[in-house]
Order: sequence, then structure tokens, then C-alpha cells
Amino acid sequence: MATEEEGPAAQTGRAVLSLATDVGGAAVLAARLARRMVPPRLDGPELWRNLYRMGVRSLPIVGVTALFTGGIMVIQAGVLIRRFGAEGLLGWGAGFTTLREVGPILIALMFSGRVGANNTAELATMTVTEQIDALETLAIDPLSYLILPRVLSMVVMLFVLTVYGDVLALLGAAFMGDALLGVSTATFWNGLLDAIRVWDLATGLIKSALFGGVIALSSSHYGLSVSGGAPGVGRAVNASVVASATGIFVCDYLATYILQ
Amino acid sequence: MERLEGPLEAAARTVLADARELQGVFLRALYWTARGRREPGEVARQCYEVGYRSAFFLSVTMGFIGMILVFQSGLQLLRVVPDLSQLGATFLELLVRDLGPTISAMMLATRVGAGIAAEIGSMVVTEQVDALRMCGVDPVDHLVVPRFIASMIMTVVLVMFSGLVSFAAGGATAWFVFDVQPLTYANFSLLDRGDLITGLAKCFAYGAAIPIVSGWCGLTTRGGSEGVGSATTSAVVNSSLAVIMLDLVISGVGFVVFV
Amino acid sequence: MIEVTNVWKRFAAPVLRDVTLRVPQGCLYGLIGPGAAGKSVLLKCLAGLLRPERGSVRIFGQAIESLDEVSLQAVRNRVGMLFQNNALFDHLTVAENIAFPLRRRGITDEAEIAARVADRLRAVSLPGFEQRLPGGLSGGQKKRVGVARATVTRADVVLYDEPAAGLDPVTSQKIFDLLRREQQEAGATVVMVSSDIDRLLTVTDRVGMMLDGALIFDGTTAEAQGSLHPVVKQFVHGEVDGPL
Repeated sequence: MATEEEGPAAQTGRAVLSLATDVGGAAVLAARLARRMVPPRLDGPELWRNLYRMGVRSLPIVGVTALFTGGIMVIQAGVLIRRFGAEGLLGWGAGFTTLREVGPILIALMFSGRVGANNTAELATMTVTEQIDALETLAIDPLSYLILPRVLSMVVMLFVLTVYGDVLALLGAAFMGDALLGVSTATFWNGLLDAIRVWDLATGLIKSALFGGVIALSSSHYGLSVSGGAPGVGRAVNASVVASATGIFVCDYLATYILQ
Repeated sequence: MERLEGPLEAAARTVLADARELQGVFLRALYWTARGRREPGEVARQCYEVGYRSAFFLSVTMGFIGMILVFQSGLQLLRVVPDLSQLGATFLELLVRDLGPTISAMMLATRVGAGIAAEIGSMVVTEQVDALRMCGVDPVDHLVVPRFIASMIMTVVLVMFSGLVSFAAGGATAWFVFDVQPLTYANFSLLDRGDLITGLAKCFAYGAAIPIVSGWCGLTTRGGSEGVGSATTSAVVNSSLAVIMLDLVISGVGFVVFV
Repeated sequence: MIEVTNVWKRFAAPVLRDVTLRVPQGCLYGLIGPGAAGKSVLLKCLAGLLRPERGSVRIFGQAIESLDEVSLQAVRNRVGMLFQNNALFDHLTVAENIAFPLRRRGITDEAEIAARVADRLRAVSLPGFEQRLPGGLSGGQKKRVGVARATVTRADVVLYDEPAAGLDPVTSQKIFDLLRREQQEAGATVVMVSSDIDRLLTVTDRVGMMLDGALIFDGTTAEAQGSLHPVVKQFVHGEVDGPL
């Protein structure tokens, strides 16, 4: 809570401290989860339940987002195509940005809003109603039982959903190219297949797994470290989606340099 | 409803009902924007809420977007032509026409949309919205309209500001990585009237859509504090989705009209 | 004054089943019943906040179930309501909360507003609380501010949803006595939902009991206390053995 009297220096200091607390907290959470991976100690049925619910419920929203993204990227590339009169470049122009950059980011942002925010809200509610403490008194490790299945599910599902989204985005792009620019589907596919290397597709998918990790860690961290009853849950959800979005862009930046 | 309906039919029915409610909120917001009496401080306070608190977050994300995209497109251009003099001009055009407004609006949908839904939603579950109605106040007028006006103003301001940050961050990348001089990079030759109009139209459309969609999610909150949680989540998802849909529509219209 | 005829309302399951009820002018009517019996829903139907699927709700002789929000306003201007959770506006001071309905009814004279707010705060024994914020008040104080806001417009009909919920017995009795005094001074028609039956029955003129969405009893307070209906008898006298 920043009060009115604080100077800019105090506010900056406070912001830096809370940033360090949250990044550090998420890193500690990651380390504690990693220790439970070797040998794997996690709840199998809980994993399947989470995979199903996070995946299936996100299908419509990811599908719509991907279809539209493909269409939008064709329109953006279309301006260049008209300017240079090179229809064959449409597959490259639209396909490259969609598969490698914009597709994974938009799908991850949607996933963060749908699944990540929901995860924070659930974990935060369990924390403020002392359900997490109750698990511990029953000698059940909340990290193995609750958190690890969720984190794994989010990483796996965002990857799978991005594959599914890539397909739909290309369909949307091909349709839009035909409808708006009059570029036939065959020309679009040829342009795409000539210009896109498997590595381009792979970087998009590697990034999506990274984004999944960022969303999973930040949403779980904010859910577990909530304080302040029911209004605290709202604040935790808000902080978690903001942190996920920032994390996605920072990770994307780093990944772009490393995976060129 | 005697007849059994399939899941698709049921989904279509829900979507239609939601669309009708959403349209109702939108029309009432327009009506009260034109007719309502405003307390002068209220819109300014919302501008501060929407704008000042999102400015830092938006500049960080848009700065990263600028660096990433310039780096990516630089590499791509080098594959085709060895000349990077058009890099800045091409990026600026894309930034103004689409990515600036759209990515910023996705961020605003996350930050502002969630805040609006949480605030209005908790007023619904504590019956404060019913109390407003008993006092003869349309909740749309009192709660949604100030945010609606503030969001339209601040979206334009924030998009310009964060677009500038993004362009500058891209320029730094172009300079350090590809050795493109800032004066070569800052090239406005490709920017035309169509780009500016399309970009501005998107700012206004997103700025209008986010508070309307999130306000609707907040006003239809059911149940207790879990209800507020799910209203917040659906505000983020639905207003992001609204942004993407509007992007496609406005981009398409802009392309047909201006290209 | 208030006439409810054959009203049905459902959410997921039916919550009001064929409710018919008359509350004469100047009557303090108590609505009792176990949890989830439909009392609060009925109250919100009277205020036009919820619309019944079937049946009619008439207040001041006007059928409100078919009115749109704008026409409802004329009716609501003559109705005051206290909500279960008080519904005080968090961002306004106590004085502004109480003044809110006055300002919305077009009263702009600041001196008159201040006088009426001060008068209300004296009536609920909270003088000098004008500049406090709702967040810093106790449960009982919030209730009393809620009562002040519900009565400040001198409405002809006042609806109270659980005016004593969560209060200690002494404060609770004080609130009921206050509401009775207010009602008699203003000559208002009042419908009051409460689970605190012992204290509620000390102030009511008539009593209705609801069970599973239906009104199973309607009569004077004395009739309710002497009722031989097994459910009403058990509920009114708080017996453990019985049909409930």
C-alpha cells in the first residue's frame, strides 16, 4: 500500500523490493518443485484431472484467438504484398510472424487470463480458507499433491494448445488471404512451405513451453502467498495476470536472442 | 424447453443471451454518456486509475515487444535483402497500424479489465449495486460510464506513450545489433493517413470495449467471493477476445478502404 | 398497500411458489421462516429488484412486475430498503451515505440535507459520526447507518432484510425498538425479514411464515404465537421436536 506522503525514491525502492520478493519467491517455488521431480513424487489422478480441465476448457478460446490472429496477420502482411506485388510472399509474411512470434504470445496471454488467473483464484481461496494448512496436518505435501500437477499440466497444455492454435491460425490466414487478397490457398501454402524452416516452428513451440512455465510459476506463487482474506484473493489474481504478462514478454525477449 | 438440445445449440443460446445483455450495457452506457450528470472529479479519478497505474506496466511490455520485433524482422530481412534502411519505417508502420494499439489493449484488458470487474463485482455481492438501484441510480450510469469515458481517453494517451517507448527500444536494438543509425531508423516515409486513422480507430474501439465488457462481467456476478473471482477471470478473457475480434474487423475495413 | 398475488419465481429451482400476501397500510409485517425459504427473494420482488415469472406485485395500487426501470423509479422513490449486508457505499462517508438517496431525489439545499442527516444519526444514536467511513464501523453501527439511510427519505414503505443479523441480543432489541418507533412516527408500512423471532414478535402487527418458497401462515402476532399449525408452532416456540 503506497501512501500519499511517500516520495518517488521510497516508491521506487518499495517497487524494487516487492519485485525481488516475488521473483525470488517464484524461483524458490520452482526449486522446491524441481526437487520433487527426481524421483517423481506427484499425484497421478490429480495430474490427469488438471490436464483435462485446463486443456478442454481452453479449446474454444484458444481456437477463436488463433483463427483471428491468422486473419489479422494476413491483413498486416497484405499491405506489404500489395506494395511489392509479390503474392508468393504472403505465406512467408503471415506464416512466419504467426508461428514464431504473435501466435505463441497471444495464445499464452489468453491462457494466462483463463487458466492462470483461475489457478491463482483457486489456490488463493484454498490458502485464505486454511485448506492448505489442513492438507499439511493430514501429512499430505501440498506441493506434490496440489502444485506440481498444476504446473506440469499448464506447461504441457500450453504447448499442446499452441500446436492446435498454429494449425487453426494457418487455416484462418489461408482463408483470409483468399477472401481479402485473392491469393489462392495453393499459393499461400507454397509460399509458406518454401520460406518456413522447421526451426521457426520449433522456436514458437519451445517458447510456448517456456511461457507455460512462467504462467504456472507466477500464478501458483501469487496464489500461495496471498494474504488479507477475500479482497486479498482479488488482488492476488490481478497481480498474477500482470506478472504473467510481463514474464511472457521478458522470456520472449531472452528466447529470441538465444534461439535465433 | 421440452425438446432436448445438443451442446452446440445450448452454447449458441448462451452466446446469444450474453450478446443481448452486453448490447444492453453498451447502449445504456452510450445513453448515459450523452445524458447523465457527472460529478466532475469522478472521470478524472478514473483516468488516474486507468492511466497512471498502467503506464509503467505498458511501457515495460511494449518496450520488450519493440526490441523483439526489430531483432526478428532484422534477421528476416537480412535473409531476403542485405539492406536494413527500411527496417525502422516498416516497423513504425506496423506499430501504428496494428501492434501498438492491439498489444497495449491486450495488456489493458488484463490490468484494467480485471480491476473493473473485481470492483463492480464486489459491489454486486455486497448488495451495493441493489442499493444504488433503490436510490434511483442506474448502475451502468454510476459505475460503468465514468470508466468508459476515462478508458477511451487514456487508451489513446497510453498507446501513444507506450508506442513511443516501443519504437525507441526498437531503435536501440537496431543500432546496437544491426548498426542501423538512429537517423536512418526514424523514418516516417511509409506512414500515411490510412495507418493513422486505422490505429486511432482501434484505440477508441478498444478503449470503449474493455470497460463495457468488464463492466458487464462485473454486473452479472453471482454468488460470494468465488463469484467475484470468476467475474474477474472472465473479464480478462472476454475483453481480450473483444480486442482480437475488433482488431480483425477494423484491420479488414482499413485494408479495404485505404489499400 | 402491498399486494402480492400468486407469485412464482425460480432460479435453478423454484424459490417462490404461488405466494399471495396482503400488507395493509401502516402495518409492521414480520416475515419469518428457516434459511433458504425465499424471504429475501420475496422482499427483493417487492422492491422491483427481482421480477417474478408469474403473478403480480402491487404497491400503492400499481402493478410493478411489468414496469421498466425508468417507471419503477417513481415507485422506488417512495420505498426505502435496508439490505442484509447493509450495502453501505464504501467510498462515501456516513453522512454522504445517508444523504445519497436525498440527493438522488433532487434535494440540493445543503443545510436541509445536513439537518436531516443529523436528525437521522440522532435517531439511531450515532450523533457525530458524519465524517466516519463505513470500513471503520462495527457491525451494529453499520446496521444503524443502514437504518438511517433507509428511513431518511420518509418513505411510505420500508423493507428491512435481517435488521439484527449478527448483533448481540441487547443491540438487537434496541434496533427492533428503534424500527418500531420509526414506523409508528412516520405511519409507514414496513415488511421485515428476521431470524431473530423472539425479538421480532415483540414489535410486529402481523406475521407471515415461509417454508420452501410457500407462505404457510399469515395472521396477527397473537395468532402466530397461538397457532396450532405444527410447523409454525415448532418454529415460533423454537422446539427441537417437530416436523422441521
